[in-house]
Amino acid sequence: MGGIPLSEISHTEKLPLLRNCGRCVETIMSSKMQSSNNTAHARRTVQQLRIEASIERIKVSKASADLMHYCGEHAKYDPLLMGIPASENPFKDKKPCTIL
Amino acid sequence: ILNSGCNNNVKGKVKGCEPRVLSLQNILSLILFLLPASALTTGIYMIFSTKPEMATQEVQPNETLTNLKAESDTLKTKLEDERAKLHDVELHQVAEKVDGLGQFIMKTRRTLKGHGNKVLCMDWCKDKRRIVSSSQDGKVIVWDAFTTNKEHAVTMPCTWVMACAYAPSGCAVACGGLDNKCSVYPLSLDKNENLAAKKKSVAMHTNYLSACSFTNSDMQILTSSGDGTCALWDVESGQLLQSFHGHAADVLCLDLAPSETGNTFVSGGCDKKANVWDMRSGQCIQSFETHESDINSVRYYPSGDAFASGSDDATCRLYDLRADREVAIYSKESIIFGASSVDFSLSGRLLFGGYNDYTINVWDVLKGTRVSILFGHENRVSTLRLSPDGTAFCSGSWDHTLRIWA
Repeated sequence: MGGIPLSEISHTEKLPLLRNCGRCVETIMSSKMQSSNNTAHARRTVQQLRIEASIERIKVSKASADLMHYCGEHAKYDPLLMGIPASENPFKDKKPCTIL
Repeated sequence: ILNSGCNNNVKGKVKGCEPRVLSLQNILSLILFLLPASALTTGIYMIFSTKPEMATQEVQPNETLTNLKAESDTLKTKLEDERAKLHDVELHQVAEKVDGLGQFIMKTRRTLKGHGNKVLCMDWCKDKRRIVSSSQDGKVIVWDAFTTNKEHAVTMPCTWVMACAYAPSGCAVACGGLDNKCSVYPLSLDKNENLAAKKKSVAMHTNYLSACSFTNSDMQILTSSGDGTCALWDVESGQLLQSFHGHAADVLCLDLAPSETGNTFVSGGCDKKANVWDMRSGQCIQSFETHESDINSVRYYPSGDAFASGSDDATCRLYDLRADREVAIYSKESIIFGASSVDFSLSGRLLFGGYNDYTINVWDVLKGTRVSILFGHENRVSTLRLSPDGTAFCSGSWDHTLRIWA
C-alpha cells in the first residue's frame, strides 16, 4: 500500500492515522475486468475533455478589462480598501475620551 | 522542501494515502497499456466522431486503451491551443493604468481565545458579528466577534473537525471532519440547552470531510471529502441530491458561486486541479491544472467571473472562467510556505492569503503585487474569511486562536 513513510512525518506534526482510507484499498481484479475498467475510465476522460474543449472563451484582454471594471465600480464600497473611520467600523476601537 | 507535493513537507492536515510507489494496480495498467494494439481504428473513430451522448452505446470489442489515450492527448493539446489563442495580454499589463494602492494598516482588533487546540476552520454568520469555528480537539464554538464572548460550544464525537459552516438563517451550524460526516446543529437561544442532543447527521462520505457549505438556504449542504468527491445533500432528509466525481484525489476545499451567477461551485484538491461544477447536472464544466501541489483553498471573485486558489506550492492564482485560463500568479521568491486559505475583499481588489509561515499576505489582485504582510499568529494560519459586509476579516490558526483584522 502506498503512502507517506512514517519516517518522513515530523514528530511534532503526526498525522492521525486514517481508519478507513477507502482509496488505498487494493482489489485483485481479473485482467479482463481491469482492462474494461481502464477503458471505461479512459472513455469518461475523453468525454469530459470534449465538453471542456467545446466551451466558448473570450480573450484575456476582455476578461481583464471586465475584472478591472468591476474593481473600479465597487472600490468605493470596499471598507478594507478605502479605510473607514473607526466610528463606523464595529471592530475598530473608538477613540478614548480624554478628560482634561 | 519546496514543491515536493505530499511527501517531504508535512501538511499537518489529514490527507488520504496516495500511492507513491508503483502498486500492483499500476503495474497491471502499465502491462496492458504496452500490449500490442489490435484495434480496428475505424471502429473506434466511428464511436468518437458521433455526439458525446452516443458514446454510451455498446462498447466496440476492439476499442483499446491506446486509442482512447491518443484521443485524450489530442483533446488536451487542442484545449491548450484554444486557450493559448486568446492569451493576448497579461492581466497585470492591462492593470498598469490602474492607480496603485497606498499603504495598508490592518491590525488585529480582536483575538478569540478558547479553543484547546489548532483552529481548523471558521465561518461568519450573515449578521456580520457571529462566527463559528472548529478545532482539532473536536470542539465547535460560536462566538460574538464584537464582544469576543462564546455563545455556544459543542463537542463533536471526533477530533479534527476540519469543516464548519454557518447556516444562512443564522439558526444552525454544520460541521464535520474525521467522522466522515457532516452534521447540522440547530442553535438554541437557551444557553443551557444541550446542542448535541438535537444534532442531525446529514452527509455521509467514505473518508474525512474537508469542507462544507450551505447553499442559498438552510435546506441544502454542499460537502467535499477525502474520498475524492463532492456532494449535495438535503438537510431535512439527509438524502444525497447530487454527487460530483472527477477529482483523482482528496478534495480539500469548495466555494459556491455568488448567487447572481447561477448554480455552480468550484472545488480544489490534492490532484492539483480546480474544477468548476454544474450543481444541477453534476457535470464538471471547467478544469484548471496549473498549480504544482495540493490546492488548499478556492474562493470566487465577487463578480463570479473568476476565482482564486491557494496552494501548497506557495502561490495563489487567479483563474478567469470566461477566458478559461489562469490570469495571474501571486508569488514571491521569499514566500516558500504553502497558502492555506484565501479570500477577496468586497470589491475584489485585494486578495488575503493565510500561509503556513504564520503570516497573512495581502495582494493587489490586478497588479499582482503584494501590498501588505500581516504578522500576529504564532503558528500556521489555517483558515481565513472576509466578514459579510467587508469591514473586517477573520483568521484562524494552529496557535489555537482566531483574530479579527480591520
